[in-house]
Amino acid sequence: MEPSAKVDTQPKPRLIVRLGIFLASHHILFSALCCSAGIIALLFLPSLAKNTYLSENALIPGSANPLFSSEDVTEANKFIKGIEAAAGESRGGMEMSKFIVQQMKDLGAEVCYHEFLPHSKHFHPLKFFTSMTNDLAVRPNGTYSNSGTNTIGIIRAPRGDGKEAIVLVTPYNPQRVQANEVLSLALGFSVFSLLSRAAWLSKDIVWLSADSQFGEYTAVSAWLNQYHNPMFVGGVKHEPDGIAEKAEFTDFKRAGTMAAALIFKVGETRNYGDRDSVTMYAEASNGQMPNLDLLNVVHYLAVHRQGFRVNIETISSLLSSAWLRAIAEVIHTLGSILRKINPDWKLDITASDYVEGTANLASSIYNQALGVPTGSHGAFRDYQVDAVSLEFSPTFYIRNENAKSSFLVRGGRSVLTGLLQA
Amino acid sequence: MSLIPRAAPAASMAFAGRDPAVISLLKMLPLLLLLTFSSAAAPPAAASPSAVHNNNWAVLVCTSRFWFNYRHMANTLSLYRTVKRLGIPDERIILMLADDMACNPRNNYPAQVFNNENHQLNLYGDNVEVDYRGYEVTVENFLRVLTGRHESAVPRSKRLLSDEGSHILLYMTGHGGDEFLKFQDNEELQSHDLADAVKQMKEKHRFKELLIMVDTCQAATLFSQLQSPGVLAIGSSMKGENSYSHHLDSDIGVSVVDRFTFHTLAFFEKLNMYSNASLNSLFNSYDPSMLLSTAYYRMDLYKRALNEVPVTNFFGSVMKTIHTDSAYTGFLAAHDAELPLSVGNNILDHVMLQNEASARRSNIEEMNEAQLMSHGWTEVLLEQLEGKNSDVVVMYGLGTMGILLAISTWLSM
Repeated sequence: MEPSAKVDTQPKPRLIVRLGIFLASHHILFSALCCSAGIIALLFLPSLAKNTYLSENALIPGSANPLFSSEDVTEANKFIKGIEAAAGESRGGMEMSKFIVQQMKDLGAEVCYHEFLPHSKHFHPLKFFTSMTNDLAVRPNGTYSNSGTNTIGIIRAPRGDGKEAIVLVTPYNPQRVQANEVLSLALGFSVFSLLSRAAWLSKDIVWLSADSQFGEYTAVSAWLNQYHNPMFVGGVKHEPDGIAEKAEFTDFKRAGTMAAALIFKVGETRNYGDRDSVTMYAEASNGQMPNLDLLNVVHYLAVHRQGFRVNIETISSLLSSAWLRAIAEVIHTLGSILRKINPDWKLDITASDYVEGTANLASSIYNQALGVPTGSHGAFRDYQVDAVSLEFSPTFYIRNENAKSSFLVRGGRSVLTGLLQA
Repeated sequence: MSLIPRAAPAASMAFAGRDPAVISLLKMLPLLLLLTFSSAAAPPAAASPSAVHNNNWAVLVCTSRFWFNYRHMANTLSLYRTVKRLGIPDERIILMLADDMACNPRNNYPAQVFNNENHQLNLYGDNVEVDYRGYEVTVENFLRVLTGRHESAVPRSKRLLSDEGSHILLYMTGHGGDEFLKFQDNEELQSHDLADAVKQMKEKHRFKELLIMVDTCQAATLFSQLQSPGVLAIGSSMKGENSYSHHLDSDIGVSVVDRFTFHTLAFFEKLNMYSNASLNSLFNSYDPSMLLSTAYYRMDLYKRALNEVPVTNFFGSVMKTIHTDSAYTGFLAAHDAELPLSVGNNILDHVMLQNEASARRSNIEEMNEAQLMSHGWTEVLLEQLEGKNSDVVVMYGLGTMGILLAISTWLSM
């Protein structure tokens, strides 16, 4: 009797095994529970998030005088006139880049051209296994009419050690030049010229005027590719007809490791109210973000020092959705109840801030999940360089001269003080 | 002195066999004599810990690197300038700077370091001797400097060569916290390490009195573990408080001085080498509302009253002379002309200088004797020539030689 009783009763399994079996048997319930907990946590996030903290020991944004004055603005205006003239007589877009190169050379910077081809449409499944890193190489038989040309200028820091560089990128389309692109080039030029006279540079400055006829991302990633993984084209160098001086600038020049990059452009005029605005784009490929201190510094400088309004991309449909507003009200009342229980528990956020915060959050999550970079700063992130894109949106008509000057001053100042922190 | 105890036992033996009371009395006599002499000898032995103060040293340490810690460098260089101005020479200052702000590429004013936005005073101008620079400023080197345990190849300029009569000023600035001070962004000096080093210094008689001044966040915690006597410490803030910078220079782009050091310098700018402002007035000049923190000082290990100690006991080095009765002879008269004349109030310094002066006089006399005893022949000559003019002597000599020459030619003819 007893031996058979012993054989029949098996020892009870361990607790963790029983827990696993329980979870697996009710998996639908648990999945639903976890998903909804995640969504609720996401909905609480904008109200629980703290304000950004800028450490006073390391980052003191806006502590230096940027010295951007009206003389720089006159210089920029001259540049605008010059480049519009060049755009007028341009054939194939080369005149504009020649004009930019001439201006950069006058400042004493090192200049070079970079030709690139657009991404080929073919998909190479074995690309990851071979070392075909450079499918954008220049074809040696000089058909530059369907290749883009970036112009690069480099200022060497007079007393620096030349090991690191900061990159400024201003994209423009030479085939179809628009007034706002001209303004962004002028902004880039004025910042560049100020930095060429600065005695306090510790890193080299690289200014890339990216040719965005095939897309901004293509141009920047082609340049970065050539910078980090150079491919040396052997054989005869072609002599394009009629542009003899271009040949001296075809040697690719480098400036050391890139510490940070800033892409800025002037967007179309919007009517967002009375303040000029800056839109920041930070999401890079595969959900990577740059060092968020970069965003904090730009935000601080733009808002507190120059009076811009900083936007981050939002999903605009969420901004006007009714159910989100309802949730906002619920959280607001919850916050007031919690404060009565214990004054330390804070959920205070106004309903409109909450709605905007959630829209920002949703847009950021969507872009990160998709993995597609929201601008050419994504190309930098592939090489572990912190980069952010700024789009300045003026509220004036582009052709208005005076407004342009003041806008230039403020934009230049904010870019410059951002750089001084680096 | 030593003969009498030896004689007493002989005397007692001579009287052996007589009165036992007399014998016992005589036996006690040498003991009594020994006791009196030992007690007479004791004060000189006890006097060596309380040796006379005869030199001042300063160890000034800046522990932070990077451009945004410009103000720590400026703090240390300002204090270096003050201490030199008040009289401590470079060979008795050990200056440790963890980074080079003057030649940093971000410096808009190359090779210049300022501690005020008016840029009136360049702290890195002339005559700055940095003993430990850059990566040499480590916790290990700092503790070696304090305790004196160096490798044999370390030069004298990098050693703290203090003795038992030294007063040492130890000033440290940088980033600190609860019971630690951060060195170079990758290591820490803890309060018990510092206390241990000070204890070693005391045992090796490396200082008579030590003033520790710390300008960091939560500075008072750094000297909370000290136990050695003769140590006075002041920190710029208490536990849980931060120490703040004074002002931002927008031309340079960073803060240029800290509040505690700024007020310390403001106090010292009013003084010169001969002032007798006391440590008490220095410590009372710190106003918590101006510093935005509470300057805390620790005086339980320091036996003297603070209102009797002049600040120049630590921050300066007062050099005075006293008039002597007779002039020094020979080339030594030139040395006297270099020392500044002044009147001093400090009794200790007076005694010290009298000791110094008498020591020098005895040296001089010895040297004179050494000169005179060497040549008997020159002694005779000097005696003869004492009252006369040297030109006259030369004329006489030439005349004698001419006469001898004439006589010899006449004889040979």
